Amino acid sequence: MTDSSSQGRSTLVRWYWTAPYVAVGIFALTMLALVWLLQTREAESQRNAVARDVQWAEQTIRLHMQGTEEFLGQLARDLAANALDPDGFQLRANQHIANNGELVNVVWVGTEEVVRWSAPFDTIDWLAGDALSGLQTLPFYRARETGRPSYGEAYVNAHQRMVLEVYVPVRRGRQFLGAVVGVYSIDRMVRHLVPSWFAEKYRLALISEKGEILAVNSSVLDLDESISFAIPLDPPGNGLTLRATAFRTEGQLPDALPTAMILGLSLVILWSLWLLRTHVRRRVQVEKERDRLFNLSLDLLCIVGLDGTFRRCNPAFSRVLGYDPDQLPGRALLDIVHSEDIPDTLEQMRRLASGEPVSFENRCRCADGSYKWLAWSINPVPEEKLVYAVAHDVTGRKATEDAFRAESAFRRAMEESVITGMRAIDLSGRIIYVNSAFCRMVGFGQDELVGAVPPFPYWPEEDLDVCSRNLDMTLEGRAPPSGFEMRIRRRDGVRLDARFYLSPLIDQTGKQTGWMASVTDITEPKRVREALEDAQERFEAVLDGLEAAVFVADAGTDEILFANRAFKNIYGHDAIGRTVRGVSFPQPESEGYRVSLHGLDVSELPIELFDGEAQHPLSGRWYHLREHATRWVDGRVVRMGIATDITDRKQNAEVSRQQSERLQHTSRLITMGEMASTLAHELNQPLSAIANYCMGCVTRLQSGKVRPEDLMAAMQKASFQAERAGKIIRRVREFVKKSEPRRGAVRMSEVLDDAIAFVDIDARRVSGRIVLELEPDLPPVHADRIMIEQVLINLVKNGLDSMSELSRNERILVVRVRLAGPRTVEVSVIDRGHGIGEEERKLLFTPFYTTKSEGMGMGLNICRTIVEFHDGRLTVESNPDGGTIFKFTLPTEVVSEQSARTA
Amino acid sequence: MSNLPEQPDQSIYIVDDDEALRDSLVWLLESSGYRVCAYESSEAFLAAYEASMTGCLVLDVRMPGMSGLELFEALRERHCTLPVIFITGHGDVPMAVAAVKRGAVDFIEKPFGDRDMLGLIEDSLARERESRQQRLIEAETVRRLGELTQREREVLDLIIAGKLNKQIADLLGISIKTVEVHRARVMEKMCANSLAELVQSVITGEAGVFRG
Repeated sequence: MTDSSSQGRSTLVRWYWTAPYVAVGIFALTMLALVWLLQTREAESQRNAVARDVQWAEQTIRLHMQGTEEFLGQLARDLAANALDPDGFQLRANQHIANNGELVNVVWVGTEEVVRWSAPFDTIDWLAGDALSGLQTLPFYRARETGRPSYGEAYVNAHQRMVLEVYVPVRRGRQFLGAVVGVYSIDRMVRHLVPSWFAEKYRLALISEKGEILAVNSSVLDLDESISFAIPLDPPGNGLTLRATAFRTEGQLPDALPTAMILGLSLVILWSLWLLRTHVRRRVQVEKERDRLFNLSLDLLCIVGLDGTFRRCNPAFSRVLGYDPDQLPGRALLDIVHSEDIPDTLEQMRRLASGEPVSFENRCRCADGSYKWLAWSINPVPEEKLVYAVAHDVTGRKATEDAFRAESAFRRAMEESVITGMRAIDLSGRIIYVNSAFCRMVGFGQDELVGAVPPFPYWPEEDLDVCSRNLDMTLEGRAPPSGFEMRIRRRDGVRLDARFYLSPLIDQTGKQTGWMASVTDITEPKRVREALEDAQERFEAVLDGLEAAVFVADAGTDEILFANRAFKNIYGHDAIGRTVRGVSFPQPESEGYRVSLHGLDVSELPIELFDGEAQHPLSGRWYHLREHATRWVDGRVVRMGIATDITDRKQNAEVSRQQSERLQHTSRLITMGEMASTLAHELNQPLSAIANYCMGCVTRLQSGKVRPEDLMAAMQKASFQAERAGKIIRRVREFVKKSEPRRGAVRMSEVLDDAIAFVDIDARRVSGRIVLELEPDLPPVHADRIMIEQVLINLVKNGLDSMSELSRNERILVVRVRLAGPRTVEVSVIDRGHGIGEEERKLLFTPFYTTKSEGMGMGLNICRTIVEFHDGRLTVESNPDGGTIFKFTLPTEVVSEQSARTA
Repeated sequence: MSNLPEQPDQSIYIVDDDEALRDSLVWLLESSGYRVCAYESSEAFLAAYEASMTGCLVLDVRMPGMSGLELFEALRERHCTLPVIFITGHGDVPMAVAAVKRGAVDFIEKPFGDRDMLGLIEDSLARERESRQQRLIEAETVRRLGELTQREREVLDLIIAGKLNKQIADLLGISIKTVEVHRARVMEKMCANSLAELVQSVITGEAGVFRG
């Protein structure tokens, strides 16, 4: 809006507003003029009526008075004619007085100015003989003079009655005989000479020449002086005036009333106009403000028809959505609603149509195609078939809400998922908050903990004083920033190690309200840490304790990434960072590696690069070197090398080989010792028998009572026993003879035969039976025959011994030989004896462990040494049928030859 | 042998699992005139054992099944008083020593000379005879003691305790005369000629009672 237009409009408005005032003024004036005119005309007509009525009254009075003059003239003439006696006079006068009320007296006054006759007879004013008063004589004489009736001045007689006298001269001829006087009561004149309707309308007054009111017909004073008319009363003609004044009509509105009313009403109109104007002004003001609000509102304001089309929109539509508010009317609201929100919006519109105010949120498309969240608040006005809608852009709030929701969900999730327990206490030490992690940690529910006061339920009974000391420290603010460790007790009694970190709890006003503790269960971390530390320590200790030099080097750059103490001791403590070749580490030539160092595929790792011996170029010492390519902790390919100084070992190899042989020899001797003990026992039997037989023979021969056949039998028995002893001795000789281990192709069947023959003594002694189960066509084994024999003897003897507690026919020992693999022969010695317990089994191969009182505990240990010397294994297992199975394996001859070649 | 007292009531019981040794031992002992019974195992002997057996036992320590030592224990449980000689091998000496400590007569180590064996057997038989004699005397004394009346037994106990007749009379509240009568009857019943003999036989008898 421009200034000039607003100016023009305001001028126009002022005009609008002046016009009613002017109109009212003109109207009032017109009305006043009209009223004045009407009243004037009314007054005029009233005065005319008065004049007419007064003239009529005057005429009536005049007629009456002329009548009376004529009567009096008649009397006078009669008197003059002496046609009258007093009585006739009296009669006629009285008759006339009776007919004319205004006439009071009729009197004949003689020429001597004395009353002669007077009628009525009872009058007291006019007594015969009374003389005329001065005032009366004037008309008397004028009548005498003129010869015509003459009226005297009105006067007040002795009886206080205003009277008017008419003097009619009595003449006889020229002779004056007095005058007949008619006395009018003026009062009666006005009262009786006008009709009653006149008296009702007017006050008739007789006014003297001097203006004195002589008589009135009414004492009513409520007169309308404006409506009065005076007319001179003639016959008397002595200046008497008859004036009629209208009575103020009863109930008649005063003349000023219309004027007053018009003025009053005009004022009322003006006042109401003024009121209206102020009201309208205020309305205009309000409307202006509303318009301004409508236009300036940040919220979208619009009026929408029930059909869903815009009727009016405020400029906020342009600001918020980018639509021109003037273009929107006519478009449908749904056009700009997000397609997903249309069903909801439609539902809301239906509710609106049913007259229900609604508020909802939806997304509306902006002119640029983006969407904004709007919170609508819509009120329907069904009678107008319109709805008034306010929409607030809540995109920001929505975003904030979403963010807040996400944040709170995140916080919730975080709170739920954190394994750090949170516990807040107020300044008195009462728990005011715990999170679920804390509850899980201590095993108490949130409701049990919140509100709890020290001692808290999760304090272990044995640490109460520590816990309360910690709490006191916390409350005094002296908790260490690194927190403190505390043992806590779970509900189920399990103790946990936990670390408490404390921080003050500050509310929004900056006031401290308590202490927040974050609690971490460090039981597991503590254990893990300790385990890790231990592992690390062990790892380092092991690596550093190794005499072998260990290094890890980048496969590409050859840079040393790790070296153990042995490596550093040999190649310098600055080895890390240098290259392997740079520290002159003994290593194979490039072609010595099994695979190329470069281009190693990660998937092939770890892979062995080298396993062999190398000589240090400078020191000349020998190392056993093993290198692997593997992935290092940082992902790159490295080669890891372990170099063991084998110079001494190489030197010792020969020594140890000799030692080993000596050990073999020693063990053989030990075995022989055991064997000798058994042999001694065995030899005792035949020897004792032989001695007995011989002595028995000698004794009998001495006594002489002897039969030769008895002697023969005894001697044969002795001889047999000697043979038995010889066999035993021979076997021992054979056993001892072979002292050097000599491996060769050996048939197991032969070994078994020999061994069984040897242990047969034992077997018979314990009444055991030895069953041989040989697989046919067994290949020869590569072994030392005597050694294997020794093992077999040992195992079989053990087996027999273990069965000593069984009944005789149960004492069966099975020796089974079979081909266990393509190049392996397996020998099992199966007994049904007492078996071997777990504990015993562990100790079985321990030197000098024995369950036998006479054994030395070397047997099984030596057996194992022998078997392992033959590249075999000796194992023990339980016999499912009771007892024990000892198994050992031996290589077949072919394999042994091959392995001998490769080695 | 003529110089050896013929003791037909005594036998030598041999328990040995080795047939050769058993047989040769039987041969040897029989040639010396002893009555010999041989058993191949402890169980076999136990089965044949009777309390009336007299003589001595020769046991091999090491035998399959019940060993010699076990047999010895079993016999002890049956109150067998037969003297036992163990034959031990080379490694069995400590076992045999333990057996001797528990009451076996002796042991002999293989191989043994015939003199040693025969000497041991002779000793054992003599000891068995003696102890059998002793047991008979003891049994007789016990029987005689059993024949004493209650009052006689009381008097006897006081006599052994060394009390005079007068003291006995006071203790038992009877007259000296009566004590003398009881005393005479006790001497008569116990077949004792003197006080010393009486005491001797009572002590022997009581030992037998305890042993029995």
